[in-house]
Amino acid sequence: MNSFYILMNKEYFQMIRDFKIIWLPIVFIFLGMTQPVLTYYLPTILGALGGGQGITIDPTMVQQEGGQVLATTLGSQFDQLGILIIVISMMGMIQADKASGMLAFILTRPVTVWSYIAGKVISNFLLVIVSVTSGYFVSYLYVNYLFTDVPISHMLSALLIYLIWVLFMISFTLMISTIFNGQGVIALIGIVFLIICRMITGIHPIIDLINPAGMSQHAMSLLFTGSVDSSIYVSLFITFLWVLFTLLVSHLWISQKKFQQD
Amino acid sequence: MKLEIRNVTKRFKDKMAVNQFSMELETGQCVGLIGPNGAGKSTLIKIIADILNADEGEVVLDGKRISKMKREIGYLPQFPNFFQWMTARENLLFMGQLSGISKKRLIEDIPTILTKVGLTGEQNRKVRTFSGGMKQRLGIAQALLHKPALIVMDEPVSALDPIGRREVLNLIQEIKKETTILLSTHILSDAEEICERFVIIKNGTKIEDTTMTELISRNHEPVVYVKITPKDHFWTQLVSQLPYVKKTEVIGSKVKITMDNIEVHKNLLIQHALNNDVDIVHFEVSGNDTLEEIFLNLVVSA
Ligand SMILES: Nc1ncnc2c1ncn2[C@@H]1O[C@H](COP(=O)(O)OP(=O)(O)OP(=O)(O)O)[C@@H](O)[C@H]1O
Ligand SMILES: [Mg+2]
Repeated sequence: MNSFYILMNKEYFQMIRDFKIIWLPIVFIFLGMTQPVLTYYLPTILGALGGGQGITIDPTMVQQEGGQVLATTLGSQFDQLGILIIVISMMGMIQADKASGMLAFILTRPVTVWSYIAGKVISNFLLVIVSVTSGYFVSYLYVNYLFTDVPISHMLSALLIYLIWVLFMISFTLMISTIFNGQGVIALIGIVFLIICRMITGIHPIIDLINPAGMSQHAMSLLFTGSVDSSIYVSLFITFLWVLFTLLVSHLWISQKKFQQD
Repeated sequence: MKLEIRNVTKRFKDKMAVNQFSMELETGQCVGLIGPNGAGKSTLIKIIADILNADEGEVVLDGKRISKMKREIGYLPQFPNFFQWMTARENLLFMGQLSGISKKRLIEDIPTILTKVGLTGEQNRKVRTFSGGMKQRLGIAQALLHKPALIVMDEPVSALDPIGRREVLNLIQEIKKETTILLSTHILSDAEEICERFVIIKNGTKIEDTTMTELISRNHEPVVYVKITPKDHFWTQLVSQLPYVKKTEVIGSKVKITMDNIEVHKNLLIQHALNNDVDIVHFEVSGNDTLEEIFLNLVVSA
């Protein structure tokens, strides 16, 4: 427990040193702004470009519900560029320690592999929570200003559900970062896998049930319709199992010292 | 404190790095693990530091598996690494806290220990800016920080310049008074200076476990060194044919001749040289082989 605390502190220390604690939230704030602002002004921009003739914009089409726009922030911004940014900013989580020999060195001290992994996951998850939440809140403010109001309760519950999917993104990246040694490979596998997970949602209910990206789908439909499907509980449980699985694989990999073998 | 290495074997794919290695180490001892490049020293030390798992055998400290006794071990890697973006002091704070020492204690101890390893005034510099020798010293500081019962050092002086080497050797002499030390090196004279006991390893196998005095007395076999001019090198051939000569070896301009019953035969040898009209520049009956030679003999022949 004590070494977990020291390891986690070191992570924060590092995030502060390389300003990750500042730039990651800023990037997400920009992402969060983009969707409502673009959606609101796009018709005007298109109109201006079209020179006012030809395309007539149907006012009912422009008048989107606030919940819809907020949902699209999650679906089109966070689940695309957001995944890219999360994976790239987290890919060195374990890989860097392996490459520098610090992982082996740290483990010569009386430190359990679990406290090492927990220090990594929890610190990075908290940073991403702060970033995603900031971006999401900014998006929410713009949505309420430019579109219809979204009930706070919907907004908050959707965020909580979405963050479970984010937790999976992080634990998955951690696992890939543990197993592979090249940053390029880690980024590629992480991004491609997570984007595929996200893309196959909605194809089949069974797939949605076992797909961690189903959580993102649930968050979006909550914002769209104001209610959640009862399958969310099973989905939630299975997503937690996936997270556990990735952590167990990482633990096994490190405690078996597989990272030492080239 | 008692360290027991029991039949440790480690393979990398089909390469046998450590082979059925056993030894024991008791409180207060200082043991030099000596072997040529690729002998398996680092591999064995990494197994002791619990960085690598042995394929067979085990390492036990005071009757408990080494993985449960990390608090009692200080480890200096062959190429010590630290967080580049941290200062020397921050790195020591981090490693020290992981070893279970309170921050308060560390804040008191770190300046003292940095002075001890010759890094006074460098504590707030980033490790990124450190030279190899400075990292080596920081590595030693790190290994000492939590006052372990056993310190394991992989080539503590090989990477240092002569001055640094001297300083670190003196430092180890100091540490030796308080703790048990196991260190590896491929330089015998370093080991000779700090350790009483040597374990020689070659191709992963232990070939010798002995003390300095024993090693020298065992190899105490007088030999004759004859220095001759280059034109007389043919004579070496003739000498090796003589019945009482066991071995001849050319070392530079000297010929080293090992023979039976040296008191009687050495004069015969001179006679033989004179008969062949050899121009003798220097003739010497000398005692034991140098340490380097003993080492080479052991490592090359065994
Ligand atoms: N990770 C590894 N994968 C494959 N082979 C390895 C690995 N580490 C060491 N070896 C091999 O094991 C043997 C022993 O290596 P080791 O590093 O223990 O030697 P050493 O005695 O420390 O040598 P040096 O004096 O050069 O440091 C060598 O032949 C080396 O090639
Ligand atoms: Mg080595």
